[in-house]
This record gives sequence, C-alpha cells and structure tokens, in this order.
Amino acid sequence: MRTIWKRFSALFRRGRLDRELSEEIGIHLAMQEEEFRRQGMDPAAARAAARRAFGGVAQTCAACRDRRGIPWLEIAAKDIRYALRGLRRNPGFTAAAIISLALGIGANTAIFSLFHALMLRMLPVSKPEQLVSLYRTGGWGKGYVSYPLYLELAKRSDLFSGVLGRTGVEKVRFTPPGGRAQFTQREFVSGNYFSVLGVAPALGRLFTEDDNRVPGGHPLAVLNYDFWRNRFGADPAVLGRTLLVDEQPLTVIGVAAPGFRGVEVERHPEVWVPAMMNRVKIMDPRTWWIWTVARRRPDVSRNQVQAAVDVLMQQHLAAIYPTSYNEAFRKKALGQRLEVREGGIGLSLLREEFGKPLTLLMAAVGLVLLAACANVANLLLARGAARQKEIALRFSLGATRARLVRQALTESLLLAAAGSLLGLLFAFWGQRAILRFLPENLAGRFAAGPDSVVLVFTLGISVLSVLLFGLAPALGSTAVDPASGLRSGARQAAGGPILRRALVVAQVAFSVVLVALAGLFGHSLFALRSVDLGFRNQNVFAFSFDFAHTWKGEIRAAREQLLAQLESLPGVTSISYGFPGPFQRGGADASIRVPGSDRTAREPADVDIEYVAPRYFETIGSVPVLGRELDRNDTAASRKVAVVDEAFVRVFLPGEAHPLGRTLSFDDSKPEGGAPVFIVGVVRNIRQKGLREKTAPTVYVPVTQVDSPRPPTILVRTQLSQVALLGAVYGDLRRLGPGGALWDWQTLREQIDDSIFRERMLATLSGFFGGLALLLAAVGLYGVVAYGTSRRAGEIGIRIALGAERADMLWMVLRDALALVGLGLAIGLPVSLAAARTVSSILFGIQPADPLAFVATAAVLAAVGLAAAFLPARRAATLEPSQVLRHE
Amino acid sequence: MSTRDAKTDILQGTLDLMVLRTLETMGPQHGFGLAKRIQQISGGALDLNQGTLYPALLRLEQRGWIQSRWGTSESHRRARFYDLTRAGRRQVARESQDWARTVALMERFLRAAG
Repeated sequence: MRTIWKRFSALFRRGRLDRELSEEIGIHLAMQEEEFRRQGMDPAAARAAARRAFGGVAQTCAACRDRRGIPWLEIAAKDIRYALRGLRRNPGFTAAAIISLALGIGANTAIFSLFHALMLRMLPVSKPEQLVSLYRTGGWGKGYVSYPLYLELAKRSDLFSGVLGRTGVEKVRFTPPGGRAQFTQREFVSGNYFSVLGVAPALGRLFTEDDNRVPGGHPLAVLNYDFWRNRFGADPAVLGRTLLVDEQPLTVIGVAAPGFRGVEVERHPEVWVPAMMNRVKIMDPRTWWIWTVARRRPDVSRNQVQAAVDVLMQQHLAAIYPTSYNEAFRKKALGQRLEVREGGIGLSLLREEFGKPLTLLMAAVGLVLLAACANVANLLLARGAARQKEIALRFSLGATRARLVRQALTESLLLAAAGSLLGLLFAFWGQRAILRFLPENLAGRFAAGPDSVVLVFTLGISVLSVLLFGLAPALGSTAVDPASGLRSGARQAAGGPILRRALVVAQVAFSVVLVALAGLFGHSLFALRSVDLGFRNQNVFAFSFDFAHTWKGEIRAAREQLLAQLESLPGVTSISYGFPGPFQRGGADASIRVPGSDRTAREPADVDIEYVAPRYFETIGSVPVLGRELDRNDTAASRKVAVVDEAFVRVFLPGEAHPLGRTLSFDDSKPEGGAPVFIVGVVRNIRQKGLREKTAPTVYVPVTQVDSPRPPTILVRTQLSQVALLGAVYGDLRRLGPGGALWDWQTLREQIDDSIFRERMLATLSGFFGGLALLLAAVGLYGVVAYGTSRRAGEIGIRIALGAERADMLWMVLRDALALVGLGLAIGLPVSLAAARTVSSILFGIQPADPLAFVATAAVLAAVGLAAAFLPARRAATLEPSQVLRHE
Repeated sequence: MSTRDAKTDILQGTLDLMVLRTLETMGPQHGFGLAKRIQQISGGALDLNQGTLYPALLRLEQRGWIQSRWGTSESHRRARFYDLTRAGRRQVARESQDWARTVALMERFLRAAG
C-alpha cells in the first residue's frame, strides 16, 4: 500500500525527483573523482575513471525513472493498448458489442431518469423526508380539503411541526408592468408555506402568517426564481412593483430560493399569492379547494398520524353534514378519508396513473440490458473460442492466467465504457422521444438535464454489465490446456458450447417476456382505439378563450360576436361550444328526478351535465338517434329542454319506445319532480371524459338556459389550416378589445391522443424494447447455430457422402435452433404471464392471459428462430462432402 | 508483486541484501560510501557498475526498508544519506537466514556431486 502510494505520489513530483537524482549522481561522481585524485591520478584521468566506475549515467536515470512509476498502472495501460488493438482488428465484433451495450444502457438511463424525476427525487426543501401530503379520497373530487378543515389540521401540533395549504397550480392571465398580457402559473398558498418547507428568499422576503389573515386583504406576490430570471432578467428592482395576475394587482415582495419550484412534480408555480386572495368562499366548510402538506413530527410515525387524522376527519364530516341531509348523500359524504401520503418526493397526479407503468418499463429495460449483456457475452465467448490457439501459445510462453483474465476484463471494460458513452447519447434522444408522448403541458416540466444521480446510475449499470457479460467469458476462454490447445486442428470447446446455448436460451426468454408485454399493450391500445367515441369528427379544433373579468355581463355577447365572425369565415363548416367539452377535465353533475321512472321513484339520482351551444353535435359529428339537437330557438325565454344520451334512456327509461316528450326535473325534492325539462332528443353515448370511462347518464342542457359558469370549449369544424384559423381567431379577439386571451389549442384527435398517452407510450416502448430484444436474440441464435454447424461440418459432410438427404440436414440444424427457442419460450411464457398479472389494471378490454398476445409471441419467436437459423442451415445442407473432408 | 521482476530477481535480490547488510553494519551511508564499501568487501570479485546501486536504493526505499534524507558528508559536502528502517532490519534478518539455508543446500549438492 505504502509502495503504491509512494509511487503514485511520485507520478506528480517527477521534475523534483529527477533533479534530486541527477544532483545525487553528480555528488557521487565528484566524490569518486576526489578519491581517485587522492590516489594520485591527474584530474582528467580521475574524472574519466569515475565515470567508468559508475557506468551509464543515463541508464541509471532511466532505470530509476521506470522504478518510480506504478507498475500496475503501466500494465493497465499496456492492457488497454493491447485490447484496443484487438478491438480494432475485429470491427464487426466491436461494433456489435458496443451497440448492444449502448442500447441496453441507453434504454436504462432514459427510463431511469424519468423514473427518478417522478418517483425518487426529493424536493429541494429542508428535511423532505418528514413531509406528508394529506390527500382526500372518496366523496367528490380528490385531494383538496376545505379551509376550515385545513385550520383544524394546522392546530394539531401534537402530530405536525407545521401544516401548509396550497391550491395547486393554475394557469392564469398575467400582465407585467407595462407589458402585454400573457399566461403564468399561479398558486395560492398559506402564510406559513415557505417557512414550513424551509425555503429561503433569494431576494426580498417571503410570506409570513401575517400576510394571510383577511380575505382579499393581501395583494402580494412571491416569484419563482426561474420566472424572475426569465421574465424580469433577474432585475432586483422587481421588488415593490405591481403585476396584474388574473385581474388582481399584486405587489412583488420577494423571490424564492433558486431551485425551489413548489411541491408538485409536474406543475411548477411561477407566482405565489396568499391563499386569502382566492376568490372562492374561503371559510365555507363545504368548498374544497386547498391541498395540505404537513411536516410530521419526527417522534410520530406515519401510522399514528393516519389514525389521528382518521378520527379528526370523521368528527369534522359529522359536524358539517348533519342528519338533515338526505341519506345517500350523507353516506357518501361521510365515506371521505384523508390519506396520509409520502410528501418528500413531491406531489404528483401523474404519479398516480403513471407510476406503475413506469416501474414496469424500468423492469423491461432491465431485461433489455440483460439481453444485451447475454449477447455480448456470447460474442466474447465466440471470439475466445477463435483465439484459443493464441491463448494457448501465450500460456506456454509463461503468461499467467490472472494476467490473461485481466486482459480480457480490460477489453470488457473498454467495451462497457464505449457502450455507456454511446448509451448516454441514445438516452438523450430516447428521453426526448419518450417525453413527446406526454401531453405538452406535462412534458416540459421534467427537467431533463443530466442529473448526477442518473449519471451515477449509468456508471453503476455499466460496471454491473461488465461483471455480467465479461467475467464468465474471461474465465472460460482462458481455461485452455496449452498442450491440446496448440495441437493443430484441435476443436476443444473453450467456454463450452453449453454456456453459449444457455445464454441464447436466456436471451430468447428475455425477448419472450418483452414481446409478450408488447403484444398485451399493443392489443390493449388497439382495444382502446376501437372504442366507440360516439362522434366522428376528430379533426375539430378545440380551444378556450377568456375575457377580462371586468367585462362581466358583456362576456356572453362578446363571445357570440366572436363566434359569429368566425362562422362567417370561408372554410369554416360549423362552430359551436360547450362546457366542459370533450376530453376536458371538470364538468358538472346534478341530482334529478325523472317522473315515471322506477330509478328515481324513491330517491333522486346523479347525472352528468354538459352545457352545449346550438350545432354542438353537428360540429363534433354525432347525429341524434332520436329527435333533434339543441338549436337557436332554445332560448332563455322558451320552454326548458334537454338532450339526453342512450345511457340515460337505458337507466331511467328502460323499454321506453318514445323517450321524446318525457321530462326530467332538476328539482329533486319530490318523486314527481318540479319544473319539467322536456327531452327533445337522444344522442349516442359520447366519451366525454376519456376512452376508458364508461359514459354515465348525461343530460345536455342549452347554454342559453343556464348561467354557464366557466369559459367553455370552442369547437370549430373547418378545412382551414391550424395557422390560418389561429390567425383569424387572434385577429377577431384583438378587434373586440384588450384583455381577451386564448389557450389550450388542440384538435380533438390530439386531445384523445393525450388522454391515452400512457397506453400509447407503453405500447410503443414495449414494442421497441421487444424488437430490440428479438434482434439481440436473433444475433445470438445465429451465432450459436452457425458455430455448431461449422463444428459439425465434418460429420455433416460424411453423412451427405453416405447418402443422407440434404433436406434432412437442413431440418436437423433448424430443429436444433427451434429447440433453443422452445426452451426459451417455456421459461419466458410463465414469467410474462406473471408480469402481465401485475399490470392487469393498466390493460383495457383484454385479460392478462390474452390468448392473442401470447400466441403471437410464440409465433414471432418461432419465426425469428427459423430466420436466424436458416442461413447456417442452408450452408450445412449445401456442403460439398469432398471439400469438407479434404479440409479435415 | 509484478511479473516484470521475475527474470532479474536473483541478481537484484543479492544486491539488495548487500546494501541492507552494509547499512546494518555501517550505519547511515551515502550512495558513494555504499558502493565503495560493497566493492571493498567483495574484494573486487564483484564487477559492479556503481550506477546500478541507485535503482536498487530507490526500490528498497519504496518498499519501506530504507529511508533517505539530505545531510552533510564528512568532507562537508551535501549528500543524500540512506539508513535502515525497522522493517529493513527485519528484512536483513529474514534474507540472511534464507541465504544461509540456500548456501548450505548448494554446498551439500556440490560436495555430493564432487
């Protein structure tokens, strides 16, 4: 150890050590010269004699210099040079190995960086592991609690050292001082938000409890650091200036620490505003609008917190929903719970639906890496077999086995290093390709920069892969007996064909699992795509626009004017709008009675409500099954009408031949209802909420007959290009006056794609990985079969010479390959079935044991096996006995 | 430790032991002093290039058997002095024994053969 250290440190002190050595030698020579002179030589002779006695000065210096270095480092350098020479000589092998590894490592790095961002990365706040999120489940909506409930939780200092509240991130209109209107991400937060998280200001100050006391009384804002840098050029003078955010003039008091982007993973607030500035009924116990994140006291376990919160929640609900509420409603209300969840890795809605698929993908890329390693190991074994003579020769020249193993491992390390570098490149591309599956508003939020954790992960898997693919071949190919290895024509199997065949079987098994998953997800996606949407026109453009709140009563008129202008554009076929509109979140439900229906005879029932404008169904391409759709004659003054869907008829009016003319009522107080709403049409079930959701009975109400609560989704059916239409809308919007804004511009098809991004992504990625594994397995299979036939060339030649049918020879080789594939299938299929069961909740419309997917997998594998074995098989069948035997 | 030394081990081993043994009996020495002393003792039988001493010294120092420091010689010259370490003393004892055994063995062979 000491020697190594001395030598290592000597590497860095070369100059000084060299000077000292020449000084020492100089002194030596001077002493000798002096002595010779004392013995009576003249000065010139003495000098010459001293030199002679010393021998070569230069040689001595060189010998010392060599000694100083680190032998193993130099040997390593030699090994590297040797390995590089070897790799250069075999460009085909080298490329195949590096690309296999790069694909495996790249796939792992790409998926892991997403996995890390979504599932593992801690928030940049103090002690994130103490944070828990209190998530409301059951009842209506999810996550949010009311402000009074939040205050009750915040009082529990026996459980928490701090409880913060926040609304979640919302995209709102924002006008910087003297600037144009744009959008920003706003979040309302409690006064203790920053102090509970332990976030410091980068500039100015952050909120305190005193900044959040009076409803509407704290027009203040704290900015996100990136937002401050990007939109304000990191100008410190932003403090004290007034921004118009969602029509509220707010004074900037500070900028939060760099790197802090709120407590959500995929949505990052840019402006924080005191919760008291929210325009909801803040103190209403039945208005759910605030999320809670709490810092758990270190001495209280999560289970204890959960138990205490359960009690608190039950008491709270019992108090705000007294027995005067109707029984079914109250039961649903009291069924709500607050779930204590991990908060340190950030809150994420995406994690709920995407966490499991991502974990599965992580496992899948692990298999890809294993398959790649098996492939490289196989290539190395094949090469080891080819180099047997060389190795035997080196043994007999005195090389030790340890040295040869080290050389082989050096080569593996080089391959892994090159594979990792290329893999990082692949990962970079791959990640961008994967992010393209995510809806636009989510994709941008995954900061995809190189992360040190991800790089360490990559390094780790490369080292792991060296051990996986390098060790066995290194040991195997050096297990050579020099005597027999050198004998000419010896065909001793280095590393053993058994090992190679086992590796191929493993490769086949890996690809079986991946291909089966690809089949399942592909079939599931196909089923999802075949779902009847209930409408045809997927190329309809959908978007929202909004006017300043100050317009108030004139908003509806302005909207109508804008729509009329757009409708008159040449190329626009029809235009309509609705709330919330197809594939939009949000939406309303209502409790109704249907006179004469058994379903509502005893208690009212819930239906979904959609507010729609005239020509809504015509625009999205859904012809009413019965009656008519809503039109311009259905005004606020005319009789109340509604269109219902087939699900409604099935549930409320089963067997009714003439639903038209029947009525429903939004007055649910008595069985026969109150003021009637006449059903004038029946439409098909439209998947408003997504492809997976079964359509609930839905009632379409004309927008003219209600106060439409929120900006609706505008639907335009047109031959115009997106650019042309967008230009026209912007132009018209500007002509109406300042303060209008446009957002969420997409076609319905894009919205549908976004709504099933998870399924599309899983199908595509598992298909890609399955293909990759198949390719690797095919290469491995080809190698092993080709090697086997070349070894048996003599035998085959003799058989042919003795009259064996060539077709039999062909079949003999193919049978061998099929046996390997069959073995791989036998191992892989049960494993994939087990894997499929873990993801059954993600599958749509098919069972985990989907016969189509599994039969297809087996067929694909058999086909690939035959294809890979065909070339060597044909070579075997066309052998010329005379040639082969002469060669022997 | 390293495979490279294998072929020259015998020669190096003897020189190493000579250096160590000289330092043990004479105390700290500079390079020239060591060379002179080794040649004296060998009675001219050893045709040693004095220069070969220095790589040997470096090696012994790296192994921690000797240590060196700059000092002043008897003739008031600046010189580098080498001295045995404790590990070096143990090494002398060990190697002396090994040599004694080897020599005794070889003698027996030579006598038997003669």
